[in-house]
Amino acid sequence: MVNDETFFAWLDGDLDAGEAARVEAEVAADPRLSAMAAEHRAMQVRLKGAFDTVIAAPMPERLAAAARTPQQAEVIDFAEARKKRDRAWPSVAQWSAMAATLAIGVLIGTLAPQARQASPVEVQGGKIYAASALNEALSTQLASAPRGDVLIGVTYRDQSGAVCRSFTDPSSSGLACREGKGWRVRGLFAAPEGQSGSYRMAAGMDPNLATLVDSTMAGEPFDAAQEKAARDKGWR
Amino acid sequence: MDQFESFEDGLTALLPRLRRFAHALSRNPADADDLTQAAVERALRSQAQWVRGTRLDSWLYRIMRNLWIDTVRSRGRREDLHAPAEEAEAIGQDPRSAIEASIDLGRAMAAMQRLPDEQREIVALIIIEGFGYRECSEILGLPIGTVSSRLVRGRTALLQMMGNPDGE
Repeated sequence: MVNDETFFAWLDGDLDAGEAARVEAEVAADPRLSAMAAEHRAMQVRLKGAFDTVIAAPMPERLAAAARTPQQAEVIDFAEARKKRDRAWPSVAQWSAMAATLAIGVLIGTLAPQARQASPVEVQGGKIYAASALNEALSTQLASAPRGDVLIGVTYRDQSGAVCRSFTDPSSSGLACREGKGWRVRGLFAAPEGQSGSYRMAAGMDPNLATLVDSTMAGEPFDAAQEKAARDKGWR
Repeated sequence: MDQFESFEDGLTALLPRLRRFAHALSRNPADADDLTQAAVERALRSQAQWVRGTRLDSWLYRIMRNLWIDTVRSRGRREDLHAPAEEAEAIGQDPRSAIEASIDLGRAMAAMQRLPDEQREIVALIIIEGFGYRECSEILGLPIGTVSSRLVRGRTALLQMMGNPDGE
């Protein structure tokens, strides 16, 4: 007897071919299930048909215009962003204040390989990975035990389950997530002029980085024990 | 997804679908268009966070859904105190609805509004927007088993509300 979940997965074409054929045969042999399939198909056609009138309707000018109007990049304080999930947009005044503190962000895909000695990143197949000292720090260092130029911030899992770590070095801060045996850099933000890494750590996370961390984090950041356990298991 | 010339082109091309999704979630067409506009503006502000090579449509739907949840939660706290009379009236109790071969948008929206929020978003994504179960679970950040069990409940309730045009 096919259960409801499987029955509807079949109806939605979400089963693999073998299972679909099995359910199909069962439905065909059972008048009650056949009637149920027909009823639900008819209901779906009517429901979807009603909402499809939205697709056919002319697009209001304000929406078409909104899609063509550039918006200033989002800049939100990390702690604030996690608190304000239920709140409305910031006021114009708040917005201006935040925009005034905007650091220059160097984002994924726009980072040109720079002629610097021991670049902290390398490009492989169009993706940016941590290299040299940064790679070493991400792989071995715990937030509680800083050494060298690279400081580790938060460690957590993203929505795909990969371990991600934020970091700060003297010239930048960023986010890298485990991919294979390396660390793929998901965001890299230049330090404001004249601020050393340790100064910036004290001043708090770069707002662009905070937004990136907030938008990718699933669940809570690792505590010290979880961070160490993850390192011992090779960040899988 | 590199099928679009630019982020803005992709957004414009997907706009009618986003607007349909907004109608499936919202109480009335005005709220739906406000939600659509807010989602478009947030998408443009956050476009640096969209990872090229991943699906733009899923990313945009996720933004819209999260904005909608924010609205529902903040409104929920205000309206817990008194039941919204307007919604009660908008819900089509007319028995004739069961014998009409097609239902209009207003009635379809009213039927969707009677579903709990957590069922409505799943019905909208799978039945109306045509996403697969896995894509839906990724957009909502829910286990696939949760998606399919809520879908069963949502669908069963909708069938009772909207009836069968051919008679039982």
